[in-house]
Amino acid sequence: MDKKHILIVDDDPAILRLLSTNLKARGYEVIAATDGEESLEAVQGNFVDLIILDLMMPKVDGVEVVRRVREWSDVPIIILSARGDENDKVKCLELGADDYLTKPFGIAELMARIKTAFRHRGDPTVSPAQSNFVCDGMEINYAKRRVSVDGKEVTLTPTEYALLQHLAVNSDKVLTHSMLLQSVWGNEYSSEKEYLRVFVGRLRRKLEPDPKNPKYIQTIPGVGYHLAAVA
Amino acid sequence: MKASESILVVDDDLDFLKIISRILGRKGYEVETVPSAGKAISRLKERFYNAAILDISLPDAKGTELLPRIIEMHPDIIAIMLTGHSSVQNAVESLNRGAFAYLEKPLDPENLLSVISRGLEKQRLVMENRGLVEELERHNRITNTLLNVSQAVSQSLDLQEIIDAALDKVTQSTGLEANFLYLNENEQLLLKGHHGFSRRIVQAMPKELNKDSGVIGRIFGEAKPEIIEELAKYAGTDLSFLSKGGYLSFAGTPLTILGESIGVLGVATSFAHYFSVNNIELLTGIGREIAIAVRNAQLYEEASSARALRELDSMRTEFLANVSHELRTPLAVIKGSANSLLQPDVIFDEKTQRDFLSSIDKDADTLTRLVDDLLMMSRLEAKALEVRKKSHKLAEVIDSIKDRLDTLTAKHHLHIDIPETAPPVTIDEGRIGEVLTNLVENAVKFSEDNTTISIEAQPNGKEVILCVADEGVGIPAELHHQIFERFFQGDGRKTGRRKGTGLGLAICRGIVEAHGGKIWVESGLLKGTRFSFSLPVD
Repeated sequence: MDKKHILIVDDDPAILRLLSTNLKARGYEVIAATDGEESLEAVQGNFVDLIILDLMMPKVDGVEVVRRVREWSDVPIIILSARGDENDKVKCLELGADDYLTKPFGIAELMARIKTAFRHRGDPTVSPAQSNFVCDGMEINYAKRRVSVDGKEVTLTPTEYALLQHLAVNSDKVLTHSMLLQSVWGNEYSSEKEYLRVFVGRLRRKLEPDPKNPKYIQTIPGVGYHLAAVA
Repeated sequence: MKASESILVVDDDLDFLKIISRILGRKGYEVETVPSAGKAISRLKERFYNAAILDISLPDAKGTELLPRIIEMHPDIIAIMLTGHSSVQNAVESLNRGAFAYLEKPLDPENLLSVISRGLEKQRLVMENRGLVEELERHNRITNTLLNVSQAVSQSLDLQEIIDAALDKVTQSTGLEANFLYLNENEQLLLKGHHGFSRRIVQAMPKELNKDSGVIGRIFGEAKPEIIEELAKYAGTDLSFLSKGGYLSFAGTPLTILGESIGVLGVATSFAHYFSVNNIELLTGIGREIAIAVRNAQLYEEASSARALRELDSMRTEFLANVSHELRTPLAVIKGSANSLLQPDVIFDEKTQRDFLSSIDKDADTLTRLVDDLLMMSRLEAKALEVRKKSHKLAEVIDSIKDRLDTLTAKHHLHIDIPETAPPVTIDEGRIGEVLTNLVENAVKFSEDNTTISIEAQPNGKEVILCVADEGVGIPAELHHQIFERFFQGDGRKTGRRKGTGLGLAICRGIVEAHGGKIWVESGLLKGTRFSFSLPVD
């Protein structure tokens, strides 16, 4: 299997060295950038499988990078931040980042989150029994990992798709918050309620004709979410 | 009981007078009769009559000649002429001279009464109207005065200026030289202004009063004005300074906003029994205007300090966010490096291991410097910086930091010029060393390799000026003041450097000022930078 390419972006050379050494030792190819502008150039120039991105940088800051990358790419993005601000976290996730880590962090934790992000991208070992899922205008083609609403294709990031697929495969059940978090993200995420709320919001904005009154993804208050099989 | 309207009847026919008297008396009028013009005049000089009935031919004068004299004396009187023979000329003349009506003898009593009734009604209306017009004019005068006062006191938002302007206006508007003002502060009434009192009396004025003490306390508490007509009879101590000063009467009015008291305005005069309901009304109105202006000034002060507090608060929050970031960054390197070495799944080669350990070491130093800066800053904030001054030669100070300077300027040319003749200075060697080191660090940060950084000293009378100059990117003129402020971050540093806390120059300024000196910068974009600071000579 080809080595995965990871772009790391941080204005502190010591952090770049730290990340680079650890990633290379674990079999990843590393591209480094020290500011937002350089990072955008790198994403356009190279084939990048994942971005690890620091928030506070000169010229173009991390938030702006996420916004711009998401305009045309669904590459997984993990945010590294020394600010530790809850609002920042939610804002980045809503803008399209896949995960958020606060400095200082442990190496094992970072590696696990990288694995999760790649898993959402498309793990061929997980294939549903049916080939597709249809519900009142929305169609999911599992094999091709393509989603369309009323014939129009909708672009989803890997994490968004993973969440939607999970809801669709289990459409005859109500899935609780922690079940969803554990299945889609992993055990260590079981209490990250913010993630679920933000990603369901992102899906609704992309799929629902009226995101405020969703017909596909239903909220079961206090319990979890449910994807309607028949509208 | 309503006073009866009075009628004077002037006729030399005594029988007629008796009959008329009875007719009018029965109707409730107060009637007086006189037989001649002369007697009529003397009665009219003594009192007012609502109406006068005159015969046209009197023994000592013509009725038509008496008429204008009566009207001159009592312009509002209703005058009715009685004519004996039907003479149009007489009638017209009477009316021209101001009679209300003329009647022909023999009289029809009903007619007479009806004319009198109409006349008196008209008189009543005129007098009422006149009263209203006077009242309106009085109100106008008061309103104008209040407008004057209001304009005078709203020229400023400074509380003391407002109070002084207000008391000045009170004097102008009322003619009362002596006045004073108490304001409620923390449940006490504090003397906040006075006007027109001699210094001796001002000294005797109570600066603080209890809210329930004396007449001033009562005026405040009940939000109602009060008059003391004779101060000699007043027992309270709060106004004893007035009686001592020879003032005989006093009036006080509360300063109210929406019915609530915020203070008391007092005026005094050396006349007894001076104040009345009328001039109190003006005073109370002035009190309300002053209250509004004072409240405005107080609110403005509160808002300014609230705004200042909010600004300080947001600066602090911003600073803490900055600090958090600055602390977490070296921590991340330390944690990440140590953690990497501990991971079981990867063993690094020896060089890489040393690199990790070296990172830990370096960033531990960074953290230490950061903590020191923060401590220094908190001392500066609390103005608790310790400065141990001794006499030193400048050359010694440079020597003590020479090694560090050499390391810093490894890639630059360092040029030091301290003349032999430079006088010794009284300083804390360590602190001034820190200032110089900091300035050199900045010079290195903001200029290219292989450029010159110079340190010079110049005696200047009672002080010595030290300068650190570089040939770097320079600082634009508009930032020359801001760079010394805490938390200020410059830009244009070389790439790869981490942001500082923005405290370096603030700390330098704090140290220099603690020595009684000044620090400043001369610089322009791309023209290099020269920091100078002064130190006092022994």
